Amino acid sequence: MSEQTENQVNGSFRDPSGFVFSRSGTLYRQVNACYSQNYDLLMDSGLYARLVKDKLLVAHEEIEDHSERKEQVYRVLKPTRVNFISYPFEWCFGQLKDAALATLGIQQRAMEYGMVLKDASAYNIQFVEGNPLLIDTLSFDRYEEGHPWIAYKQFCQHFLAPLTLMKYCDVRLGQMLRTHLDGIPLDLTSSLLPRKTWLSFPLLTNIHLHARSQIKYASKSRGTRVNGMSRRALMGLIDTLLSAVKRLSWQIKNSTWADYYENTNYEIQALEQKEKLVADFLDLIKPKLVWDLGANTGRFSRIAARRGINTIAFDFDPAAVEINYRECRKNSDTRVLPLVIDLTNPSPGIGWEHRERMSLIDRGPADCAMALALIHHLAIGNNLPLGRIARFLRSICSTLIIEFVPKEDSQVQRLLRSREDIFPQYTPSGFERSFEPFFSIEKKAGISDSSRSLYYMKARP
Amino acid sequence: MTRRIIYITLASGVIVITMPDHAHAYIDPSTGSYILQILLAGLLGALFTLKIFWRNIKGFLSRFLGKDRQHDVGAD
Repeated sequence: MSEQTENQVNGSFRDPSGFVFSRSGTLYRQVNACYSQNYDLLMDSGLYARLVKDKLLVAHEEIEDHSERKEQVYRVLKPTRVNFISYPFEWCFGQLKDAALATLGIQQRAMEYGMVLKDASAYNIQFVEGNPLLIDTLSFDRYEEGHPWIAYKQFCQHFLAPLTLMKYCDVRLGQMLRTHLDGIPLDLTSSLLPRKTWLSFPLLTNIHLHARSQIKYASKSRGTRVNGMSRRALMGLIDTLLSAVKRLSWQIKNSTWADYYENTNYEIQALEQKEKLVADFLDLIKPKLVWDLGANTGRFSRIAARRGINTIAFDFDPAAVEINYRECRKNSDTRVLPLVIDLTNPSPGIGWEHRERMSLIDRGPADCAMALALIHHLAIGNNLPLGRIARFLRSICSTLIIEFVPKEDSQVQRLLRSREDIFPQYTPSGFERSFEPFFSIEKKAGISDSSRSLYYMKARP
Repeated sequence: MTRRIIYITLASGVIVITMPDHAHAYIDPSTGSYILQILLAGLLGALFTLKIFWRNIKGFLSRFLGKDRQHDVGAD
């Protein structure tokens, strides 16, 4: 081991072709000797260049390996850094659909260059500058005529199953990806989908019959009849999957949160003043990465994005996140990454040893967190003591822009209408006292025409 | 109508082939995924050939009729 600290990254230990490790804060991917032929084919055939040009694969540079860990090493790659790792269960419908289309687009291009995708895991896709990119450079194998698609099952479980469940049953079923790390089992998907999906050829074959075939042949070995799939048939399979995914769409119906800005008691002037205050605080802080907590459709995230700051816009409402994502795509806004996160139950560390997929806190801290019009939902809507909210926020950010919404505000009154007021400490001074052990208050400004205040705070060491 | 009859016939055939006879405690779903692809290979290949053929006809006709719709082909 070299003097520099070097760690294998959890989540990249299953593939014998190589793994990801970090050295002094930089991520590298080792290509093992057993994968050398496929790696050379990827690079020499022109497939790598084509995929990077089409913004489908993360770019990398090959570097000299200075560590003493020489066993099995063929190459060491330094991929372009991904600002924030997100997971499929945090994506909205549109993001999962775009990731599925990217995966199939990569498979189609790979076949043109004599290769196939051997993995179609949704975790291999990350959103970089607004585009879904494959980050696992070692996902390709040489194509052998006659072989079925080895990643077919994985594609259906990771993409087609959740997308059809989100469309035909309920968009919140995308959360099932959190409990089923290798994608939603097809027999479960088939039993949940409505009968009308049997009338769709792509869903009949790729979900319902696929599920039954898995059960029927579960105890049988693959046997020798493996060369039964012509190149044209494989292209037909990918084409069918592509048509199936393209046809899936989700119509946003009523969403309380997506209409939030229309229903708040903010006057236009107060909203503009709040925007200006947020912009001023951001200009003071100059963060590189902002987490906008409870971002709704991303109105305030865009203030940060317009300053060239990469901004992760969290909200627990899939409709608000979908609207935000569509808006980003429409305006080619590459700085905002909208994600579905419930702050009262944020993504935990899951998978092998709880470490295969990182918790939200493990992916921080952000340079700056914004918690605008959020505190009353946490403190009054969810009974969370102010001190606990402060402690959580301290664990995820170095600086904080937070809005305090007092009890007399009509939004808080709405929350209190159907319940007893058991929050005597929920006052401006109680708020400041609770945050004082975790943050120093740098600036405070009232928002005119409302009783709300905006704070800029710095995390205490 | 004819298309629907062909579809129902094909679908019924594949359903009969893949209908589970019994479930197993130790499941290896990959085998079933492989076998399904091979079972469907002929159908998928034929449908894909037809699709390409139809695209070419459409492309030829639109060129013949003077409608330059270059980007129509490959759109889906």
